[in-house]
Amino acid sequence: MTDLRQLFDAVVTGDHVTSKAVTAEALAAGVEPLALVNDYMIPAMDDVGGKFERNEYFVPELLLSARAMKAAMELIRPLLAARGTQPIGRVVMGTVKGDLHDIGKNLVCAMLEGGGFEVFDLGVNVAPEKFIAKVRETGARLVGMSALLTTTMPAMKLTIDAFAGEGLRDQVKFMVGGAPVTQRFADTIGADGYAENAPSAVVLAKRLIGVAA
Amino acid sequence: MNGRERILAHLAGAPVDRLPIMPITMQYAADQIGVKYIDYVTDHRVLVEAQLRTAEIFDIDYVSVISDPAREAADCGAKVEFFDDQPPAFIEDHALLAERTSLASLKIPDPLGGGRMLDRIQAAALFKEKVGKDKLIEGWIEGPCAEGSDLRGINTLMLDFFDDPVFIRDLFEFVIEMELRFARAQIDAGVDIIGIGDAAASLVGPQIYEEFVWPYEKRLIDGVKAMGAKVRLHICGNTRFALEGMGRLGCDIVDLDFPSPVHEGRAKMGPDQVLLGNLNPVTILMDGTVQDVLDKVAQCHNEAGPRFIVGAGCEVPRGTPPENLKAMLEYAKGVKG
Ligand code: B12
Repeated sequence: MTDLRQLFDAVVTGDHVTSKAVTAEALAAGVEPLALVNDYMIPAMDDVGGKFERNEYFVPELLLSARAMKAAMELIRPLLAARGTQPIGRVVMGTVKGDLHDIGKNLVCAMLEGGGFEVFDLGVNVAPEKFIAKVRETGARLVGMSALLTTTMPAMKLTIDAFAGEGLRDQVKFMVGGAPVTQRFADTIGADGYAENAPSAVVLAKRLIGVAA
Repeated sequence: MNGRERILAHLAGAPVDRLPIMPITMQYAADQIGVKYIDYVTDHRVLVEAQLRTAEIFDIDYVSVISDPAREAADCGAKVEFFDDQPPAFIEDHALLAERTSLASLKIPDPLGGGRMLDRIQAAALFKEKVGKDKLIEGWIEGPCAEGSDLRGINTLMLDFFDDPVFIRDLFEFVIEMELRFARAQIDAGVDIIGIGDAAASLVGPQIYEEFVWPYEKRLIDGVKAMGAKVRLHICGNTRFALEGMGRLGCDIVDLDFPSPVHEGRAKMGPDQVLLGNLNPVTILMDGTVQDVLDKVAQCHNEAGPRFIVGAGCEVPRGTPPENLKAMLEYAKGVKG
């Protein structure tokens, strides 16, 4: 029987080969896919987030862990879908129009996925219409926007307003982030939440859709 | 003293009539003459006019060719997206070195080959002609981590440090050689100082910085100094983990961005390193009051001691009130060095 702590370790150390192999073995041995996520991967990404906050990990290590987690998730996701296991929530993510910074947004996506969300990542330079179209398509109730430039922060408000213009404002919650964004700014533009970093983005996302953290 | 004399004297440790001021202006400079940023990055005559006008309005001691990080990579053949009124950028999905093996066949572009590098060199020459005796002229090149990111894609490069250290070294070798040729051409055209931008270096953490980035930054800086130019190092973002190493690079000026406290820079780099910065460009320079700017520059100066140049942590943002930028001069005027 595989020692599943290896999965935890592989995600923390960013070893995508091992994380995938251990996951494949565990699934073949009949381990519940959801248990792999809840008992090993989420705690591992929590640990990674903590190391980042304590300056033990920097961006390269985070991206490495995110890759290891994704490698395992690729095997797990189809099984969850086949069993009709619902993700804890669906979230549409993107960097707003005019802004091409995506490292932070990618990390938030990875942590959300590690936290049990289904994430639809629209990439960078995302126009309001694209957010709207994706929400319509997926039925996501949560939209996450990232901006790293003061000049593109107003695009967050424009996006929220565009949802209102389509009569969709009440169907979704908006969370915003990125280095220059603050709680005060989030309040000013009528966003539902702000988080300072990727680990706290997961806590925020869960709160916004009413799931206990 | 004119700006050029002032900065050179200050760097040499000689007396000056006031502290030099060297804030980075790019989009802000374009706005001063009412041109779209795309014209600033594609036509050296526009860039030069905007820089001269900005230096005149705010009595800034230098002018610079800096505009965007995409000059070298564009001439290498990378796909660059241009925008009407903001800096051009790369499309990571189409990175030039999406395959690591492509590096072997990549040729160093000729800086004078008629591309975006040449346009920068022409800016340097035009500055020399117009204000060569009055203002310090700054050339600009990218550091290993920044240019490596531009060619490879920044997200991917971060993984390469673990996946393929040999590739990293080969890539950085390529970058160093290209940047030194670019520096040579700008120096020949008349620049006094070369600015080196290595923004992505602030993301990597202490181990990767020491092992992979510092040695190449060092070679680049030694190479530029051997050509007889001064060197200014600019790493945007939080460099607290790298300050000690940055102090050992032998730069004439080290910039500190707002997340890197000036007193820490001083403590880690010793008393002689000239430090520049580190007003928060957004919360202080753009959104603060004149008094905020004066107080904050005073604090930076106090923490840095006499080996200090007035400036912001990074580019002066668009929309900064002119009186806030003028406050830098106002402060500097009160200080003889
Ligand atoms: C890397 C970088 C670039 C790269 C981007 C590559 C890429 N693929 O992302 C390149 C070179 C392309 C670039 C270009 C530019 N950049 Co830049 N860049 C940076 C840099 C060095 C790092 C940003 C980063 O990735 N940080 C690391 C990540 C992990 O942090 P983060 O993004 O903040 O994300 C965390 C949190 O904010 C949060 N979060 C992020 N998104 C979200 C979303 C949600 C919903 C939530 C809840 C949380 C959340 O969680 C993340 C993880 O913990 C910063 C300086 C710095 N060190 O901060 C400048 C910086 C952001 N850039 C800046 C500028 C000005 C530019 C340019 C205009 C420069 C120019 N003149 O050419 C262009 C603009 C291009 C464009 N149109 O977007 C300025 C912005 C100033 C401002 N506030 O307006 C900065 C701050 C540099 C500076 N000091 O001036 N840049």
